[in-house]
Amino acid sequence: MSIELQYTAKQRALRQEVREWLQTNVPKKSLASYDTAEGFEAHRQWERTLHSGRWSMVTWPEKFGGRGLDLIEWLIFEEEYYRADAPGRVNQNGVFLFGPTLMEYGTDEQKARFLPRLASGEDIWAQVWSEPQAGSDLAALRSTAIRDGDHYVVNGHKIWSTRAVFADWGFALFRTDPASERHRGLSYIVFPLDTPGVRVRGIPQLDGEAGFAEIFFEDARIPVTNLIGAEGQGWSIAMATAGFERGLMLRSPARFQRTAQRLVELARRAQSDADPGLLASVTQCWMDAEAYALSTYMTASRLMSGGSIGAEASLNKVFWSELDLRMHRAAIGLLGARAELRDRLGESAQEDLREAMRWMDGFLFSLAGPIYAGANEIQRNIIAERVLGMPKV
Amino acid sequence: MQFTFDEDQRLAAQSLRDLLDDLCTGADLRRAAEACDATSFTVACATRRDRIKELGFDAALVPEAQGGLGLRPVDLVLLAEEAGRAALPEPLVETAGVALPLLAALAAIDPRADAVLPAAIGGAGIALRWPDSDLVVGIDTADLVLTAESETSLALYSVDQFEWVARESVDPLRRLTQLRARAVEPITVSRDASIPSLWREARRCAAVFDAAQLIGLADRMNALAVAYSLERKQFGKAIGANQAVKHQLANVQIQIEFARPVVYSAAGSLGGSLSAPTDMDTRWLDARVAHAAIAARDAADLAARTAIQVHGAMGYSWELDLQFYAKRSWALSGLHGGRSAHFRSLHEALMQQRIELGPDQLFGRSLPRGA
Repeated sequence: MSIELQYTAKQRALRQEVREWLQTNVPKKSLASYDTAEGFEAHRQWERTLHSGRWSMVTWPEKFGGRGLDLIEWLIFEEEYYRADAPGRVNQNGVFLFGPTLMEYGTDEQKARFLPRLASGEDIWAQVWSEPQAGSDLAALRSTAIRDGDHYVVNGHKIWSTRAVFADWGFALFRTDPASERHRGLSYIVFPLDTPGVRVRGIPQLDGEAGFAEIFFEDARIPVTNLIGAEGQGWSIAMATAGFERGLMLRSPARFQRTAQRLVELARRAQSDADPGLLASVTQCWMDAEAYALSTYMTASRLMSGGSIGAEASLNKVFWSELDLRMHRAAIGLLGARAELRDRLGESAQEDLREAMRWMDGFLFSLAGPIYAGANEIQRNIIAERVLGMPKV
Repeated sequence: MQFTFDEDQRLAAQSLRDLLDDLCTGADLRRAAEACDATSFTVACATRRDRIKELGFDAALVPEAQGGLGLRPVDLVLLAEEAGRAALPEPLVETAGVALPLLAALAAIDPRADAVLPAAIGGAGIALRWPDSDLVVGIDTADLVLTAESETSLALYSVDQFEWVARESVDPLRRLTQLRARAVEPITVSRDASIPSLWREARRCAAVFDAAQLIGLADRMNALAVAYSLERKQFGKAIGANQAVKHQLANVQIQIEFARPVVYSAAGSLGGSLSAPTDMDTRWLDARVAHAAIAARDAADLAARTAIQVHGAMGYSWELDLQFYAKRSWALSGLHGGRSAHFRSLHEALMQQRIELGPDQLFGRSLPRGA
C-alpha cells in the first residue's frame, strides 16, 4: 500500500477512547515535581491510575498489563496524552527502557517477577550506568560485580542516575570480569536501591531539586538471579536499551508538538511587542516539531513493515534535543522580564505567571537534552561514522 | 495510516536512478554545460532524453480516462528526488509533475485543449509560463506553451506564437528563456470558474516537486562531500577523520532527513489530479506545502555550502562537478518567491490562527468528499 495519511476508523476510535479517559482522569491541579518526595509519590499514584485504566504500558503485550498497541497507535496515545497535559511519567526509564529490554533478554521468571510491578507503578526504575570516569565513554566503567556463590558482590561508584533518589530499583552495568577491558566482561544486573551496601546520594540539578543521584556500592550483595541475559553480554544489551532510548520512545513527538503549540500561542499573545526575528524563530520551531513528528510516523511505518532502527536513531536524538532547547529559548525571549520569577507565590497567583514559571522550568530541563542519553557530540560522531561511513578518529 | 512507499514506487525510482547513473554522470553534465550552443546542447542530451521518454513517466499524473497513467503526486515524488540527485537537465519533473497535468485539467473542460492532449502525451514538448514570471525553462524542446495573464484564466498556445531570448542562468544546465508574444492567436483560452483552483493546485505541485528535487540535490552534494573527505589526506590522514568535518556533514544529513518526511507528506496530501483537488483543508495543506518548500531549501542550502567548504579550494573551482548540483539548488531555491514567500505565508497562517495547532493536528483535517 502506498502512502496513506488518513487515520483508520479503528485509530480514530482509539483516539476518542484515550481522549475521554484522560478527560476524566487527569488531575485538575498539576502535580508537584517528581524530583521532590511529595511529587514523586503523587506521580507514582498517577502511574497506578494509568495502570487501572490499562493505559500505563500501551505498547506492551496484554499478558504483561499492556494493550499490545502498534507504534502508530502508540503515537496516537501520546498525542492525546500531551494534548491533555497529563503528568510526566515518573517511571519513564522503566516503561520505555528497562521494560522492552527485559522482554527481549529476560527469562520468563524475570519477566513475571518485574514486569507486572513495573506496569502498576509499584516499582519505579532508574538507570545506573554512568560513572565519574565513564560518561560518554561508557565502556571505561570500572564498578565490579564479582561472583561469590549465588550472589554478585558489587563495589564502585555510579553517578547521574536520574530519579534514583526516590526510585525502587536500578538497572545497571557492572564489570563481572575484573580482568576485562572496554566492552568485554560487562554484565547487565538489576538491584533494589535499598540493598545493604548501596548508598544513594541525591545531586541537586539546575532547578535545585535532586533529580539525579550518585550511588556508592560497598560489598553490596546482589543475587545472580538478577543478571539479565548472559554474563558478559551487558554491552550489547545496554546498546539495545540505548537504541530504544534514542530511537523512538524516550521522547515522543507529541511532547514537542505540544510545546510548539504553547510557544505559538505565547507568540500570538506577544506579537505586537516582540521582535520579528524572535517571532520567526517560533515559526521555525513549530515547523521542526512537525518535522520530528512526521519523521517518527515514517519510522514507525517502516518498523511496522519489518524494518529496523539503527544508527539513524542518533539523528533523532540530536534533532529533538536541540529543538527543545530552541523552543524554550524563544519562549524565555518572549516572556522578557517575567521569565526570571521563581518564587512559589506564583503558583497560586495569576495564570500567566504560572505559565512563565513552567517555561523557565522547561528551559532548565531542556539544557540537559543535548547531554543525557549520549551527548550530542557523540551522536554526531555516530551519524558520521555509521550513517555516512566516515572514519573513526 | 501508512507512511512508507510501496514496492512499485520504489522500483520506479530505482529504474530512473539506474538510468541516470549511466546517462547523467558529472561528465555528461559537463559535456552539456560546455556545449557552445543550443544545438550542441541538444545533441549532448539527445540519448538521455529519448531513454527517459521510454520510461513513460511523462503522463503519470494524467487521468487514465485521458490516456495517462492516473497516478497521484505521491507516486512521482521519489522520481523528482532522483531527477534532483542527478541534476537532470531535462524538464521531466516540470512536464510530468505540473505542465502535462495542467493541460489535462484544461482538456477536461475545453475541447480544443482536449484535441492536442494526445500529441502532448505522445511526446510533444510543453512549457509552462507562470502568470507572474516571463522566464520559462525548456522552450527549445517545447511545441506548446501554457500560460495566462492572471490566475483567473488559462491559455494554450503553439510555441510559434512567441519569440524569446535565451537568458543565462547561474545553472549552466537550465535552458532559461524570456518570452515575448509575437502573435496572439491562442489555441484556446479558458476562463472557467475552476481555473483559479487549478493554478493553486499546480503551484502546490510545483512547490512539492521542486522541494523533492532539492532533497535529491542535497543528498547528492553531501554524498560528494563525504566521498571527498575520505579521499583527501592532510596531516597524514583523511580529512574526514576530523570531528570538525564529521560534525558538519552529520548536520547536513540531519537537515536532509528531517526535510524528507515533510516533503513526502506534502506530496501524499496532494489530490489525485489537478482537476480533482485535494480533500484536505486547503489552509492546512498550504502550510504543509510551504513547510516542505522551506525545509528542502534549507537542507540544500546547508548541503551546498558545507560541500563546497569540505572540498576546500577545489570546491571553488569550475573543474569540480559539485558546481552543477549546487547551482541547480540555487536556481530552484528562488522559484515561486523562494524561501521568503513560503515562510511568510506559513508564518502568517500560524500567527493569525488560520491553522489548528496541537499534537492531534499533524495530518490536518480532511474535508468530506465533494465539499
